[in-house]
Amino acid sequence: MEAPSWLTAQFLVNAVTIVAVVHIMLISLAYCVYAERKVCSYIQDRIGPNRTGFDFGLPILKPLRGMLGLGQSLADGLKFILKEDYTPNRVDKVLFTLAPGLVIVPALMGFIVIPWGGWVDIPTFSILGMQIQGGIVHVTGANVNIGIVYLLSIASLGVYGVTLGGFASNNKFSFLGGIRATAQMISYEIPLGLMILCVLLTVGTIVPDQIVRHQIEHGWLIFHQPLTALVFFITILAEANRAPFDNAEAEQELVAGYHTEYSAMRMALFLLAEYGHLMTSAAFFALLFLGGYQLLPFMHDPLTSPAAVSVGAVLVKLAVFFGKVFGLIGVAMFVRWTIPRLRFDQIMHGAWQMVIPLSLVLVVSVSVLVYFGATGLLPMLGVNLSIALLFTMLLPLMPRREVNKRLPLYGSRFSPMPGERVSTAPTLALAIEDRPVEGSHATMT
Amino acid sequence: MAIREQDVLWIRPAPMTRLEAVYIPEVIKGFGTTLRHFFTSFGQSKFSPVKTTRVMQYPEVRREDLPVEEGGMEKSNFRGMHRLNRDEKGRVKCVACMMCPTICPARCIHITAGESPWDDREKYPVKFEIDELRCIYCGMCEEACPVDAIELTPVYDVVGLSRQEMVFDKEKLLKMYDLTIEKKPM
Repeated sequence: MEAPSWLTAQFLVNAVTIVAVVHIMLISLAYCVYAERKVCSYIQDRIGPNRTGFDFGLPILKPLRGMLGLGQSLADGLKFILKEDYTPNRVDKVLFTLAPGLVIVPALMGFIVIPWGGWVDIPTFSILGMQIQGGIVHVTGANVNIGIVYLLSIASLGVYGVTLGGFASNNKFSFLGGIRATAQMISYEIPLGLMILCVLLTVGTIVPDQIVRHQIEHGWLIFHQPLTALVFFITILAEANRAPFDNAEAEQELVAGYHTEYSAMRMALFLLAEYGHLMTSAAFFALLFLGGYQLLPFMHDPLTSPAAVSVGAVLVKLAVFFGKVFGLIGVAMFVRWTIPRLRFDQIMHGAWQMVIPLSLVLVVSVSVLVYFGATGLLPMLGVNLSIALLFTMLLPLMPRREVNKRLPLYGSRFSPMPGERVSTAPTLALAIEDRPVEGSHATMT
Repeated sequence: MAIREQDVLWIRPAPMTRLEAVYIPEVIKGFGTTLRHFFTSFGQSKFSPVKTTRVMQYPEVRREDLPVEEGGMEKSNFRGMHRLNRDEKGRVKCVACMMCPTICPARCIHITAGESPWDDREKYPVKFEIDELRCIYCGMCEEACPVDAIELTPVYDVVGLSRQEMVFDKEKLLKMYDLTIEKKPM
């Protein structure tokens, strides 16, 4: 029996990769929350969750008690599912229900174009009596030529869920959180795009697999362009709404930002989407700057080179790629618990007055180098470091705004207009004793 | 009163040095601090020999069992559940003077006074109820009591299955005295 034309080895490998990666990702999203709590507590000299095992309170399963608190993610998930899912009165019901999905779906969709394992050799085989032609196929969700553009557009879709979630909640603090998230994410998308442009100019292609191959041949781009990588990391933190750029949440000012009115699993989707965006961005970073699935830079080890097409090599490459992604997530966690949150005006000034000019200079420098064909390690690194040095020299000379500025509310009784006298003495004689006196509530018999 | 200019305390942070104005070196220094804390406290548990984490594993380790220097509880002035003290003959010490319900800011003490059956005082509490859920544990009843009859004990983990169960009557409060007299002598 002839196999239909769409049923190829490439299609099957794509399907298997999507299923596998989505499951790896969903499980690690849950455990990212656990890891975050553990990292945070070790940094703060605490221990963190260490009791919730898998014993479910049953005496038979006593050996599974404790387990370093690894059951915490399962318990959290159960709690979120079993809690009351409350929809406040007068919310925009359609958007309110749609918003968590609009946040989590882009976070899970960006994954399919990442070249997880290079290429794999599939022998010719038959299922259900259908002969399927083997060959060397691509281990990825979808082998599309516009991979980077697709990733960029999907990553920027996440802002819709945040904005609509805040807007539909019918709560001004949620709305403020959503608006601030929009402004921040749109501002930081510019340097994000410019940094990707730097990489694409150097590599000369937008196919993700070609970018990895280029890095395996010429060395990882983080060594060529360390400043580009640093700016890119900053922008992906801002894109994922991570601390120190977590102005969308801002517990101190906006209660919980855009998801104040959400409860139960819908709120859990928002929380997981944050880590989902972070994981997508980390995979993006590993793809663009850390050489994708290659184990060590400048070394052509046979196992993780593009020429290795056995199933074992693919699994090793997958492990290396995910190792890089989790390492970057760990760095992001350390950033979160090290650097205090920026104020909103500081974030916007940082974007428009520091990061965007710097990225423009970087793009111009990379374009000039590419035009003259000087894309080797030393010229790239030298130009990058000299731009970093230039900005280091220039930054202290920039004019600074006065911090701690007193903003008098003129006309109030605490800041009268100049020359005005405001009497603030109590006007009522009764105000001297304002404590009402009443009889005891205890009854005497 | 309007804020006068001489009352305003201006706090000006020290100007940044050239190195601090670049931010990146300071950020790296901060990473050093967090990494140091992370790796010193990594993997510590209740069994670790060296302890830098300041965590008490609560149900197994309790503050009242530790000396005060190691973060234990100072039992003499801890403000936990109430008790009604007994005198040397085992009778309730309270004379129903109504000082504590008067001072109580949460109004959780309800006393019904009656004529005392004993010769050494005129009144005694027929009913003495404290709503432990309303109580804010400020300890003012203890300070107001002229005969040291009501006291706060170091007991803090009392659970009830209903609200009515947490309204302690005279018998319960006297039982609290019997339970806690060794822990906190009168």
